[in-house]
Amino acid sequence: MTHSLHRSGSIESQKKDFNWFMYQTQGVNDVNIKPKALEFIAAAEAVGSENWGDVKTGPKTQYSVEEIKDKISDKSRIRGVFTKREQVVEFLKRIKEKDVGQSVVITGILEEVLPACKEAGVTPHSINYSLGVWGKKDNLPDDTTLSITTMCGHHMIPPKFVEHMMNQVAKGKLTEDEAAIKLANFCYCGIFNQVRCADIIKETVEKANKEVAAATEK
Amino acid sequence: MTMINNDLCTGCKICQKYCTVDAILYSSEEKKCYIDQERCTECYVCLRQKVCSQGAIEPIELDNFYKQFQHVISDPVENHGVTGVTGRGTEEVKTNDVSGRIKKGEVGIAIDMGRPGMGVYLRDAEKVAMAVAGAGAELAPAEHTPLATLMTDLKVGKLVDECLNYHLLSVIVEAKCQENQLKQVLEALQKVEKEIDTVFSLGLILRVDENGENQTLECLNDIGIARPHRGKVNVGLGKPLSLA
Repeated sequence: MTHSLHRSGSIESQKKDFNWFMYQTQGVNDVNIKPKALEFIAAAEAVGSENWGDVKTGPKTQYSVEEIKDKISDKSRIRGVFTKREQVVEFLKRIKEKDVGQSVVITGILEEVLPACKEAGVTPHSINYSLGVWGKKDNLPDDTTLSITTMCGHHMIPPKFVEHMMNQVAKGKLTEDEAAIKLANFCYCGIFNQVRCADIIKETVEKANKEVAAATEK
Repeated sequence: MTMINNDLCTGCKICQKYCTVDAILYSSEEKKCYIDQERCTECYVCLRQKVCSQGAIEPIELDNFYKQFQHVISDPVENHGVTGVTGRGTEEVKTNDVSGRIKKGEVGIAIDMGRPGMGVYLRDAEKVAMAVAGAGAELAPAEHTPLATLMTDLKVGKLVDECLNYHLLSVIVEAKCQENQLKQVLEALQKVEKEIDTVFSLGLILRVDENGENQTLECLNDIGIARPHRGKVNVGLGKPLSLA
């Protein structure tokens, strides 16, 4: 699964979007992972991870932290979100110090992630590079919708629901933060960046409102 | 499979907003919604989100191996039976510091068929698998990646005929090649991308130096592919650390 790799949207927006992951290797270090998972969660919480979760339970935008922690099993996958490079650096420092022996992955814009690794004193081992979207792209949703739906790499977020949320915010029935949480709850893994999503919704709705106002003036 | 109970559906169409691949349709004749079974990927978003206030959306037993495969791969909550991994069922770069699956001098190729969000019929996944195998890449075996369980011959990439018309939310064609073969594999992908009725997102997995670099990517310039700006970085903290 390469579910955090292929996010889209402007580079500036993606610079505020990082994912962290803890992974167990099947047959090597995949037994009794709960104590290790709790170390990862503690480090992530200490540096203010905006969202995280376990695919077996769901994201913390929808479930209590205690419930997610209670349900951790060897089948769990723990992962989450940061919005600042400084969080990545501090998180990696803490995890390195704990020396839990699980694989750690950070996804994001490389010119942000690689300096963060250096600053934290960790050495990249391997990288999965995104070479973008290929094939018949004519039927893809618009770029704004994709910048939101690709934040759930398993594509659990229906494009029509994004459109619905945009409309609800435009009509004043939801705030951009409320809409972003509703969208985040589709992503069971907890890697959806609801902070970035709210920014995208706000920007899109404001732009649409301005266009309407300008057209009305004419 | 997932069905809409005609007796319970009120035709409100709310559920249509929750379908990841627009497989919920509306019959203006019957004034009811129904699911296009050929297009539905069994991702279960409509069920997990409990979108129907009438409870009209119902899971029906997945009565054959391919339906079960379709659901397990399309719904990330499920663990794949052979690899034991959730999501799309493969570890790829995530554990490479321990598994050593991609070694120095090799390139891992992760082709996310159907992403972003269009879904993929397995007949298109087969075309791509056969293209990369034909270009000399070695397709990943069943213990590493779910799609291989449907392949009749890993050297060719052909899938069993019975599965070809199943629609999945996405599935990964996974392979590896030597660094000096990368250009020909990418050229094969440039050709086959014009022959499929969907999209794929492409990832290349490489061992990197202490600065996070690998000169193999230089070949991208020769074939008109932009240098990547996003990456999934395995930071080498897993144990025992693979030095391969």
